[in-house]
Amino acid sequence: MSTVSDAAGSAAPAAKRRPVLSDRTKAERKLGWYLAGPAFIIMLAVTLYPILYAIWLSFFNYRLTDPAARKFVFLQNYVYALSDPLFWQTVETTFFIVVVTLIFELVIGMGIALVMHRIVLPRRTLRTIVLIPYSIITVVSAFAWLYAATPNLGFIDPWLHTLTFGLTDPTYNWFGGRWSSLFVICASEIWKTTPFMSLLLLAGLAQVDSSMEEAAKVDGATWWQRFYKVILPNMKGALMVAVLFRTLDAVRIYDNPQVMTGGANDTTTLSMLVGSTTVDRVEIGMGSALAVILFIIVLIIAAIFVRLFKVDLTSTGRS
Amino acid sequence: MIWTLVPLLWIFATSLKSPSVFSAPATSTEFGLFWPKHIYWGNYSVIFTGGAKDLFLPALWHSIIVCVLATVISVVLATFCAYAIARLNFPGKKVILTTALALSFFPAIAMVTPLFNLWRQVHLYDTIPGLVIPYITLTLPLSIWILAAFFQQIPWEMEQAAQVDGASSWQAFRKVVAPLAAPGVFTTAIIAFFTAWNDFVFSSNLTSSNSQTVPAALAYFTGASQFQQPTGAICAAAVVVTIPVVILVLVFQRRIVAGLTSGAVKG
Amino acid sequence: MTVAVATTGLAACGSSSSASGGRVTLNWYINPDGGGTNPTGGGQAQLAAECSTSNYKINVSVLPNSASDQQTQLLRRLAVGDSTVDLMSVDPAYISQFAAAGYFAPVPANMVSTFTAGRVQSSIDASTYDGKLIGVPFWANTQVLWYRKSVVAKAGLDMSKPVTWDQIIAAAQKTKTDIGVQAALYEGYSVWINALVAGAGGQIVENPSASAGDIKMGLNSAAGREAAAIIKKVATTGVGGPAMGSSEESQALTLFSTAGSSGFMVNWPYVWAALAPGAGNPVTWRNSDLGFARYPETVAGKPSAPPVGGIELAVSKYSKHTALAYQAAACITSVQHQEQYMIGTGNPASSKAVYTMPAILKAFPNGLAALISSSLDAGVPRPLSPYWGDISTGLQEKFSPPNAVNQNTAASAQSFILKVLAGKALE
Repeated sequence: MSTVSDAAGSAAPAAKRRPVLSDRTKAERKLGWYLAGPAFIIMLAVTLYPILYAIWLSFFNYRLTDPAARKFVFLQNYVYALSDPLFWQTVETTFFIVVVTLIFELVIGMGIALVMHRIVLPRRTLRTIVLIPYSIITVVSAFAWLYAATPNLGFIDPWLHTLTFGLTDPTYNWFGGRWSSLFVICASEIWKTTPFMSLLLLAGLAQVDSSMEEAAKVDGATWWQRFYKVILPNMKGALMVAVLFRTLDAVRIYDNPQVMTGGANDTTTLSMLVGSTTVDRVEIGMGSALAVILFIIVLIIAAIFVRLFKVDLTSTGRS
Repeated sequence: MIWTLVPLLWIFATSLKSPSVFSAPATSTEFGLFWPKHIYWGNYSVIFTGGAKDLFLPALWHSIIVCVLATVISVVLATFCAYAIARLNFPGKKVILTTALALSFFPAIAMVTPLFNLWRQVHLYDTIPGLVIPYITLTLPLSIWILAAFFQQIPWEMEQAAQVDGASSWQAFRKVVAPLAAPGVFTTAIIAFFTAWNDFVFSSNLTSSNSQTVPAALAYFTGASQFQQPTGAICAAAVVVTIPVVILVLVFQRRIVAGLTSGAVKG
Repeated sequence: MTVAVATTGLAACGSSSSASGGRVTLNWYINPDGGGTNPTGGGQAQLAAECSTSNYKINVSVLPNSASDQQTQLLRRLAVGDSTVDLMSVDPAYISQFAAAGYFAPVPANMVSTFTAGRVQSSIDASTYDGKLIGVPFWANTQVLWYRKSVVAKAGLDMSKPVTWDQIIAAAQKTKTDIGVQAALYEGYSVWINALVAGAGGQIVENPSASAGDIKMGLNSAAGREAAAIIKKVATTGVGGPAMGSSEESQALTLFSTAGSSGFMVNWPYVWAALAPGAGNPVTWRNSDLGFARYPETVAGKPSAPPVGGIELAVSKYSKHTALAYQAAACITSVQHQEQYMIGTGNPASSKAVYTMPAILKAFPNGLAALISSSLDAGVPRPLSPYWGDISTGLQEKFSPPNAVNQNTAASAQSFILKVLAGKALE
């Protein structure tokens, strides 16, 4: 049962009694806001204020080292940003990473989840191994992959060379081109976040009624048919939430490519463009406009999921 | 499963390589540049007693204090908030949850500029509170979200029983709910701590030295000279900051899994 | 630390430079050099130790490796008015930006002559913004043309006279050797582009002190097209080596060290020490076969404009001890200390007197010291514009990859950079 339906459910009797709000209801409402209020207000103060300030700054042509030349330009920054080829290139890079990592994380994550769901005994060990990448700082994981893929330093080139019986170049420069750089960035992302994905999917699998699967088995359905027709539809909710969470995370990707390439060879992501504009070039107005655009993209994606796929985000787990 | 362990082992192996290994890797390593032939602990002395000491040790201390503060503040606030959401009937709880969710999707990098501009005016730049506050923006919405999910799984009949016995909502909360809720609070604290511990964006942009945390410090390590890469020292520092977290995860793995999944999935 | 604890009274006033018995601590942010933080390592840390007096103690903090990270770190501290920054080692690429923002304390009028007398002009230029001295020339870098005497002999090139880029490209092609250049997407590529444009008598920026919207550029000119033509020729003839587009100073040096293809290279004087015969160094021919000459000419007959770099010292406006900091700067950049620093790190001095000292003539032999000195005199700095960071990034992007450079590159780079400066394009 979800919070929303729960709230609606318990609100219904309250509504009937509305004309005479009992003291108890009044006290409960009051207590509710006493308890929830501080967190809500602080959350708004520390988060909403910077967001509104960013929107305000995005209307200016404003360079940190030249505050005297600050000029109100209204939406001009947005016009220039949205008509800029570099902006669209970062959009392309970002969504390439989003799509590639999401596909691999779903497939690998689902595999791990199925294994963990079936195997009872070494579950603890499995969970341990799966949780290790999750517990590593993103920057550390980025350095690990950066060094691993650096020619004459890392093991990836010599190992590939051995595994392919000498077909690959033992000193291949992964960070010399756009797509090979993105390949390493994606591999590192997949390594880091697949565990999280598999845990979400495992929780979804637990919701699938095993008797339905048994029934399908008796009817002679193949494993693939059972997976496709019974398991997947029954865990659709969990699946969509997992996909949404990972998509929104991946759209904001920053640490990983920043450490690995710093944006070389057209590997700049949207977040990195925001960073380089505001931090390196100190163009605060344009940088804020880019930040707002990024946030709007995030909101649009969330809205699409919620509307189109009916992902109920305000529902939190309750058995 | 080797897939998840290799990069971790690789960081450890690299931290054991001496500078001479990096200049002649082919002859001084085994297993395809993976493991050094001679184990060298010098990188650890560099970060604890050597050239990188002044960068690493304060950063480690800042990481701990900032993350603990942000976690404690967020979890305390979120506990009350989530209890109210899960348990009490009051208007606006959907607004709170939706806001928490929307705010947790705001790109951290987008908050850097307004915060930097504000912090330099109120002198919070490069201070501990100047980093704790942005960390709360990361941890508070998340904590509210996870805790609300946790609290809804608690069997509240006991609280109702206590209320029937004449206890007020507050008494019921303190005597009955708090013990029931403790595991969830604890799990949320661990996850919030991780989130703060992982941050790179805020720390690398809102600090210089007085509150810089480890992830940002790693990116600013320098070698012994401008022509030498600090690879070994970075890896040693990475191992040092990773080990305690991995231990935490292993000890509390069941709870963490429960916390991560209940926040996102309808149970 | 004990000093800070002993004077909590002062610290409470917001000053983190603490005094004990009148002795002040000056914080000097240094760029990484060969000496690191070692007070006897021959680098800036040693100068800090030696220049500390009974009035003040100089502490060093090392900035990150890359010039852009150094800029970011210093800029943030200056933008928040951090009073713990007293002295800074500043790369000339962004000194104008800080000067225009008013982050530097003015140089005391009575010290101007101390800081300029007998120093190379390009270093003084790099420390000057809008006609006023705003920094202290510390060390001065310049590039020379390095070559193998055997290769030059085989190609029949006369190195006693100035050579042009066309000549060394032809010589490299004839002898099947490489020319080491810097053409990766980084500041070093802009150094090359600027030297080529200046060598043809052009200027990338015509009015460096102008505000962003009023900048006039001279890249879309005959000089700009000459520069693009040379880069194109180095790239398309293959003499730039197999990975020219990702070549920085160290890659160029590696290319130059490779037996068989080693021919020419443009690079800074640290090369001399880096190629010294010794254990583990594959190069055994430094003392017999390594030659050096003035930077090649862009246009035959027109004297070349060797690239210049180095580091200037600056004093923060927010420092509580600006007078003492300038005293310290005078000590750090004294002739003796510049000599010591040049020997300790290989970084050339900005004082001309240093180049005739016996120890320098021994460390930079066979006329190398004189070549560095004369190159510094003839050198042309990169445009001293507060917007050089944006201009440089735009240049690097539009001139990359080097084999795609053509006769339109100069024009398209110029219009792109002007759009960026006007806030109408991203980079």
